[in-house]
Amino acid sequence: MLIFKLAFRNILRQKRRSLLTGLSMTGGYVLFVISISMLEGSWGNAVDIFTLDHTGHIQIHKGNYVKRPKIYETIVDREEVEEALAGEARITGYAPRVYSPTLAYSGDKTSPAFLIGVDPVLETSVSRLLLKVSDGTYFDAAPNEDGYSQAMIGAGLASKLKLGLGDEIVLIAQGADGSIANDIFIISAIIGNKTSFDRFAVYLPLSAAQVFLSLGATVHEYAMLVSNRNHNEAIASDLQVLLPNLTVSPWQKVEESFYRTMQSDRQGNHFSMGIIVFLVFIGVLNTVLMSVLERTREFGVLRSIGCHPLGLVKLIFLETQMLTWLSLAVGGLIALPLVFWFAQYGILLPQPIDVGGVNFQHMKGEFSSLVFFMPMTFIVGAAALISLPPGIRAARILPRDALSSH
Amino acid sequence: MHRIILVACLLLATAALPSALPAADPGSTINSTMTSTARAREIINQMEELYRGDSSNAMITMKVTTPQYERTLRMSGQSLGRELAFFRILSPKKDRGITTLKREQEMWNYFPKINKVIKVPPSMMMGSWMGSDFTNDDLVKETTLIDAYDLALKETEDQYHITLIPREETVTVWGMIEYIVSKEPLLPVMQIFYDDKGEMIRRLSFQEPTVFSGLLMPSILVMTPLNKPGHSTTIIYEDITLNPPDINEQTFSMRNLKSRF
Repeated sequence: MLIFKLAFRNILRQKRRSLLTGLSMTGGYVLFVISISMLEGSWGNAVDIFTLDHTGHIQIHKGNYVKRPKIYETIVDREEVEEALAGEARITGYAPRVYSPTLAYSGDKTSPAFLIGVDPVLETSVSRLLLKVSDGTYFDAAPNEDGYSQAMIGAGLASKLKLGLGDEIVLIAQGADGSIANDIFIISAIIGNKTSFDRFAVYLPLSAAQVFLSLGATVHEYAMLVSNRNHNEAIASDLQVLLPNLTVSPWQKVEESFYRTMQSDRQGNHFSMGIIVFLVFIGVLNTVLMSVLERTREFGVLRSIGCHPLGLVKLIFLETQMLTWLSLAVGGLIALPLVFWFAQYGILLPQPIDVGGVNFQHMKGEFSSLVFFMPMTFIVGAAALISLPPGIRAARILPRDALSSH
Repeated sequence: MHRIILVACLLLATAALPSALPAADPGSTINSTMTSTARAREIINQMEELYRGDSSNAMITMKVTTPQYERTLRMSGQSLGRELAFFRILSPKKDRGITTLKREQEMWNYFPKINKVIKVPPSMMMGSWMGSDFTNDDLVKETTLIDAYDLALKETEDQYHITLIPREETVTVWGMIEYIVSKEPLLPVMQIFYDDKGEMIRRLSFQEPTVFSGLLMPSILVMTPLNKPGHSTTIIYEDITLNPPDINEQTFSMRNLKSRF
């Protein structure tokens, strides 16, 4: 305990210097926390944009459908999948889907399009499709009185084929049984705008799409959301054990190139943050070294009366750590409300970002243990590291030389 | 005009059958005193003659087998000369009424459900015809085998083996065609198609010679793409009527293509 008392007193001996050093560490910590919060928040937003827009947090397919989609790579035993999904409490919603490239016709006009068959009810629990209806009514599975099924089409396709609500759209595609799928659908809604990723998509009710593509009751994909997206990889692994014949992929696998970009950007930002902390700690090192040099005579006395050299290293280490933890405590008090506000309300963007027809008006940060503890660990580690050279210097002082110094 | 792909000939020109009973046709014998090349030309010529005629009306069943699915289509087919052909799917129900019209080197498909005629563009010519292992190109392409290929004949006790190598000026995707013809009766047995590297790409076999309207011809054709394991297309001729009175130019019109039945 004596060494703790000594260390604490030594901090208070030069209050102004300790305050300034502490402030630089506090500032560095707050800056680090806010940067991490912004970085994680912006990436979190980006991840939310596409996971909540379409991808979901986890997807299930047959075989290698994610990389090499084939129309007949379908999930046949849907009951098994749905049982597994219903039994996992961390899954908040799931939706089956089918996909196919298609050719869309309207009068003499034609355009390539991408057909997505979705369950009108379940899909709303996984994606923002309902929110993306820019004109018309979100469809249902029931055909109209003439027997035509409804379709929702991307704004780009609507514009290219000059189609509006209530118009007929003709689709031609390859059926799963080798037949030429062809049918007429009635447009019930326009989805998104001309810049949406699904601007050339044609959404059909799942049952209509299955009949159209001769898929029977099978589907190509189950997409799902989980309560905490940071746990999606663990949940995907658990589901994979339950569904060994299918491929369960977290969004990190589905959107692998995006994930890699995100990871390399994160690493780049962490490196920048490391440089900031390094600069802060050059100042701290200078302070600690100054403190050691000033106290050379004092260390000489301590060594003369029998203090072990390691005791001096411990003393300087403790002084630096105490100052660091005090700075972190103050920094935490400052950063906590700031990050909380940033995560809850965020910065109002001068121009909202449009993603697939859904507007994002605020840039928000992330409020999580990672945001606070990662910089904390980094700073405590850096403080420990920079306290060693001055400590070793103090430990190597010879009492004779120290006592003769001024 | 002549055709390179016999199956297309059978599909499109079943009217060629007047000379399809070679055993009964004295002109079908191959003169053994001719040179090897001249004999090969004569055999190929006779095989092509098998499928040359005025008009025909056929009922066909096509079975498409892949590792993923098996599909059976029943269709009617009419032809007039080498240039005109017309196919209409009768079953299954969801495909009923889908019609293909071939006029010379152009092709159109009609889809009654959407009431739309779609011309097969040149870029789709190598695409599958009705999900089968035959391409659209197989149906429209017309080449004179004996003029476009150099022929070499080998003979066994009961078969002729003719190797066809495309001439420099011939436009074709094949590097070589091996054509096997039985001697008695003089009927095609198999065609094997090779690419430029000499690899076998697909095999068309002619099976079960059957007498239709008094004439002998292969009633089953099996196309097996050798680069797609598990895939094959079998065409079974149920019935063929030669030179039926109701086949004329109007049968192959756009109006008929779009007609409901």
